Amino acid sequence: MTSTSTLAKACRVRTATLVGLVALVAAISPLVVRAQFMHPKIKPKESMIRNVVILPAKVQVVRDSMKGPEGMAAESELLSDRVEKMVAEVLAQKHVTTLSGPAASSAGDGAQQKYSVADIQAKFDDLLPKVMKKRSDVKKGRFSMGDEVLNLNLEKTADAIIFIRGQGQKLTSGKKTFVALVGGMPAYLKLMIGIVDARNGEVLLYTDPILAGDPTTAVDRLRKALEKGFKKLPSAP
Amino acid sequence: MDSLCRRQIIVATLCLCLLVSVCGRPAMASRTIRFRQEETPQTPQAPPPIEEFKFTKVDLELLDQVNLVDRRFERDGLVLEDEATNAYLKRVGEVLLPRGLNLEHVLWKFRALRDPVPNAFALPNGSIYVTTGLLALMDNESQVAAVVAHEMTHVLRRHTYLQNRSNRKKFLTMNIMSAIGAYAPGGVVGAVITIVTAVAPFIVLATMFGYSRDLEREADLKGIDMMIAAEYAPEEMVKMLKVLKQDIEGEEIRYFYNDHPALQERINYLSSYLGGRADRVTPQMELNREKNAYLTKTESIMRHDIQLAINAARFRSAVYLAQRLIEFRPNSSENVFLLAEAYRNLGPRSPQLTEKELTNSAKKDAAKKRAKRTPEEEERDLLATPAGQQNWKMHQQKAEELYQRAASLENPFPAIHRGLGMLYEKLGRPNEAVPEYEKYLELAPSAVDRERIQRRIEALRRTQT
Repeated sequence: MTSTSTLAKACRVRTATLVGLVALVAAISPLVVRAQFMHPKIKPKESMIRNVVILPAKVQVVRDSMKGPEGMAAESELLSDRVEKMVAEVLAQKHVTTLSGPAASSAGDGAQQKYSVADIQAKFDDLLPKVMKKRSDVKKGRFSMGDEVLNLNLEKTADAIIFIRGQGQKLTSGKKTFVALVGGMPAYLKLMIGIVDARNGEVLLYTDPILAGDPTTAVDRLRKALEKGFKKLPSAP
Repeated sequence: MDSLCRRQIIVATLCLCLLVSVCGRPAMASRTIRFRQEETPQTPQAPPPIEEFKFTKVDLELLDQVNLVDRRFERDGLVLEDEATNAYLKRVGEVLLPRGLNLEHVLWKFRALRDPVPNAFALPNGSIYVTTGLLALMDNESQVAAVVAHEMTHVLRRHTYLQNRSNRKKFLTMNIMSAIGAYAPGGVVGAVITIVTAVAPFIVLATMFGYSRDLEREADLKGIDMMIAAEYAPEEMVKMLKVLKQDIEGEEIRYFYNDHPALQERINYLSSYLGGRADRVTPQMELNREKNAYLTKTESIMRHDIQLAINAARFRSAVYLAQRLIEFRPNSSENVFLLAEAYRNLGPRSPQLTEKELTNSAKKDAAKKRAKRTPEEEERDLLATPAGQQNWKMHQQKAEELYQRAASLENPFPAIHRGLGMLYEKLGRPNEAVPEYEKYLELAPSAVDRERIQRRIEALRRTQT
């Protein structure tokens, strides 16, 4: 009898904890989605970004099963392309034009051009953890990739370069049940997007929208998250 | 004893049985590996033994994934597109490969990866990658063979598939344990279950790393056998590990769990393994000849890697490698230029880490700082110290001397003037920086960084007026 009552009590505590956690996530998530940090030189209602170049996105998703995470390389590539296109569409709503990437705009040596892009992408990958650690410092103009970004030899009209990174997970049905019963990380997609000045490499905007649910099938949710992510970015005239 | 209590005891027993069975498995696996090693006749000519490997659906899925990874490396510009280097690695690989061996789902590819961090890895589809950072550190072909043989063993012995299978079982166990833990009843039995299920993930995790270390050890030992069979100097594997142990950047940190055995441990077991069975010790003269031949082949890779190291803020490695290049060919303008670049970028940092900075705790602290500060911020902080200022002054002076020496050598490299321009700009001497930049653009009119330098000239002119 004593054991039964203890069990019931433990169940009640667990349910309360779960409800509390869900409430906390629900309370925080809209803020997270809207989190965007802009360089002080971007003034509201004063656009300085009219033309951008989007570098190839690197979005990685895994399938989390009861037997651990499994790679989804093909799906990750598809998702990377989708995110890239959607960022261009969302920016187009703000009258920001997406120019062709460095590979298409330069007539230089193929391998050298590939290396230049890879080196700049690697430089952003080095900077990203520091930005993520203190995102609010973007507002102080603390982060820069230096004028090496000019080595990409983009079109002269390019104002900014967009770097997109992402990570997420999809759950198998078994893992979904497990998460519902025991708890754990649900399916999600977190994007880390940096807009960098194409002339001096300063990080002008950093946003990291998060969306819940299966990332491989997200279309409308993804668009909404991106729209929110770029909400503060002033529209080009 | 009521039925509920009996149920609790059954659950607790099952829980313990599950933990014991899963944690027992890797030990059995590693024992099997060791047993097989002892059982195999270790003649130098013998190819490494390959047991029957049956592909399951899970293995084939993993194979699809790694094939895509392979393609992505190429597409993203991570693979060094230098035919000579990749052909060289391929030749070494083919010499090591046991004759007449045809493995299912393996297509051997040997390539250099554009990465300044010394590393090498194998994908289970037969792709072997050696980073430019590792190639630049090595002394001869035997050391390349040591790395390639180690990685090939991972493929030959299907280590990735085995580890994947093992990890899946362990993840499943961890999940079952946490499910049991989440619904543990009250009372003493419940408390026991909670404790067991809380501790279990750590034990399972430790066995994962332990299994990985066993596979690495096997790859080391089988790699030595392959080297001997291919008539490479086997002791070079130990020397190569000693080179890695120098830890120029202070990043070889030991944690509680590691997937590779410690370098010193690897050196020890390989030395004792070799002590018992080394068939020959290569004379120093032969090794020197091999070193010269190797450096001739890899000079361009080293130059490429120095630039990558500077881009990745691995300035100490850049200085070390550029010094190696100059030792090899002291009158090459490009080599002297690279050392000047390395010193200019080293700035206020010390060229070598002290013994105190190479302790594990100091390395951990440095890693934490690296994760927070940008290289520019690190430089600013160091410049606030007297030692940093002294280093900065010394290195800028050294860089200037080296740039000037590089300019005086035969076939001067145009980028010397860019380097001098950047040095003078940083030293606050715009009047000297502008002509250097202009000279660079004149000598290299189609340089990739033309626009960057033009903008710098414009900015400097604005400050002059």
